[in-house]
Amino acid sequence: MTVREYYRKHRTAVVTATSGLLYAGGWSLGYATGYDTASALVLVFAAVIGGYDVAKHAYYELRSRTVGIKTLVTLAAVGAVAIGEYWEAAAVVFLFSLGGYLEGRTMRKTRTALQELLELTPATALVRRDGNDVEVPAREVDEGETVIVKPGAKIPVDGEVVAGESAVNQAPVTGESAPVHKTDGDDVFAGTVNREGALDVVATGTGSDTTLQRIIRRVEAAQEAQSPTEQFIDRFARYYTPAIVLLAVGAFVVTRDVLMALTLLVIGCPGALVIGPPVSVVSAIGNAARNGVLMKGGEHLERAGRIDLVAFDKTGTLTKGETTVASVQGFECDAEKTLRLAGIAEKKSEHHLADAILDAAREADVPESVATHGAPVVESARVPDPDDFEVLAGKGVVARYDGREIAVGNRALLDERDIAVPESVAASVREREEAGETAVHVVRDGTVIGVIALRDELRETAPRVVRALKDAGVRTVMLTGDNERTARAVAERVGIDDYRAELLPEDKQAAIEAFREEGSVVAMVGDGINDAPSLATADVGIAMGAAGTDTAIETADMALMADDLERIPDAVGLSKATRRNVLQNVGIAVLTVTVLLAGVLTSNVHLAGGMLVHEGSVLLVILNGMRLRRW
Amino acid sequence: MTERIQFRVRDFDCPTCASTVERVLRRADGVEHVAVHYTTGRVEIEYDPAVADPADFESAIESQGYTPQVT
Repeated sequence: MTVREYYRKHRTAVVTATSGLLYAGGWSLGYATGYDTASALVLVFAAVIGGYDVAKHAYYELRSRTVGIKTLVTLAAVGAVAIGEYWEAAAVVFLFSLGGYLEGRTMRKTRTALQELLELTPATALVRRDGNDVEVPAREVDEGETVIVKPGAKIPVDGEVVAGESAVNQAPVTGESAPVHKTDGDDVFAGTVNREGALDVVATGTGSDTTLQRIIRRVEAAQEAQSPTEQFIDRFARYYTPAIVLLAVGAFVVTRDVLMALTLLVIGCPGALVIGPPVSVVSAIGNAARNGVLMKGGEHLERAGRIDLVAFDKTGTLTKGETTVASVQGFECDAEKTLRLAGIAEKKSEHHLADAILDAAREADVPESVATHGAPVVESARVPDPDDFEVLAGKGVVARYDGREIAVGNRALLDERDIAVPESVAASVREREEAGETAVHVVRDGTVIGVIALRDELRETAPRVVRALKDAGVRTVMLTGDNERTARAVAERVGIDDYRAELLPEDKQAAIEAFREEGSVVAMVGDGINDAPSLATADVGIAMGAAGTDTAIETADMALMADDLERIPDAVGLSKATRRNVLQNVGIAVLTVTVLLAGVLTSNVHLAGGMLVHEGSVLLVILNGMRLRRW
Repeated sequence: MTERIQFRVRDFDCPTCASTVERVLRRADGVEHVAVHYTTGRVEIEYDPAVADPADFESAIESQGYTPQVT
């Protein structure tokens, strides 16, 4: 690096340091020798060196008809020289450029945080074209092309694995620290790191159309969106500077004290007030993004900081969302027959319980002799289609097969159809439900022939997450379509404060509305697709597993990239910390301005002192805000 | 026809500086929309390519004493 390049790169630092040394030199000269003229010359020189860039910017400001801090500082420095306050002039300029240098450095750090994310995507990709593997720029890969990802390499595109098996570190996209196992049919994201085996990936998104790029755009937009506090401060700031200038003029007219008027100019920019809150918000949003949580913006962050109730959708949120048949009990016939008939009845249903029953029926139906040990099973169409089929929403299904009527459903279905429930059946259902399972009756021609119990495993993290939220003073509620007894059992196991059972999707939205009307600030955690209306109704909608679902990334107030519940207490905690941090910063700024104004108007604070406190307060709020990067 | 260009300015040192740049760019010929973000340093410009030349935007930002980078 030549001296010239070095100077260009570190210009501000060099200028500030030179100005500082000259200032110190000029001051010592005056102090040691009492030789005022020499001292004054050095000090003016210090002011000119340090002030050149400031004055240049002041000129630009004036040319575009703005009165900014640089205009005010230049005016103050020139004024100070004019009235013979050389020491003050040099000190003001030096402190201002030192402050500016430190502030620029720290802000640059915040600004480049996302850039680092961007640089995670490799520049080139190995693509199979006409049977050869060729290296091309990553953004020139077309959708549908096969990309080869070697072990240890970064994945250059979003895509689907078609061959190979490996563990992939998805931390850049989802914030998960543990590698995720990937094999045929799994989705992978650009910017994640392939650890073990080679993968063939068919590209589904390249260039700027990848999940990582969407995340980055999302995070930037969030950092740029002003929160209501910031908007208010901006409006305030627009009047503050002109008001202080008027005050300076007024002070001069009344007191004829030039130094006081100039000092007012120096503190005339509400620096800490306008810089503090955005730095807090930007740092917090950046921190959250690194941990796989996307926040929509400062406004949502501020609202999230006031959350006092978190509502969880049960299925797929507190539970894994993988419902399986836990047990089958036959009453009038054997369990196998019960399952088979239920499978037939549910075959055309799209309910998630139907899938579980059908899967179990298919599995049970493969005779021992043809059971394949590990080899792929040839699609067994052994569960036949029903002849007729009808869904009764919220109750179950009724189908006809082989001349008989099969109904599968809950107690409401049986009551509606006046089907008698023997005590033995009711007892069995009660027992399953008390174990947190969902029990459905299987009815043939009006007689209950069996009970199928379905279970959706709790996420291991769920109880811990609920406890963490409670410890933070947040009420927790579970919303579910399950019956009362199952809901209570699950709620007890999770340790959740409250639950609402037997809810239809629109009831969930109404429940959220009701909580809000009670005066709670409500967060709703759901899957972002089925729960979209409830998420939108809540003060803060939190979508789980958003990586891969673009709508969730775009619309949720808060999107958890991974299916990791434990991010929720962290995100709520971070939001609360951000709210506190913004308040602290506003407090620091207001206190500074008050103290300064009082000090200046009582002639206790002069130029250099005013500038020192002003720049100090700006640095303080920036550093305070940046603490949130490591929260 | 409207085209979009984006710059990054890493050396904004105060929010007012960013709004000054925004005002200057808005006055440039052929510019339809400008957003300058202090927090991220991002400068977005929508312009009519028949009238405006993106190189002018760069020099406009430079004339305010900041260094734009094309992204």
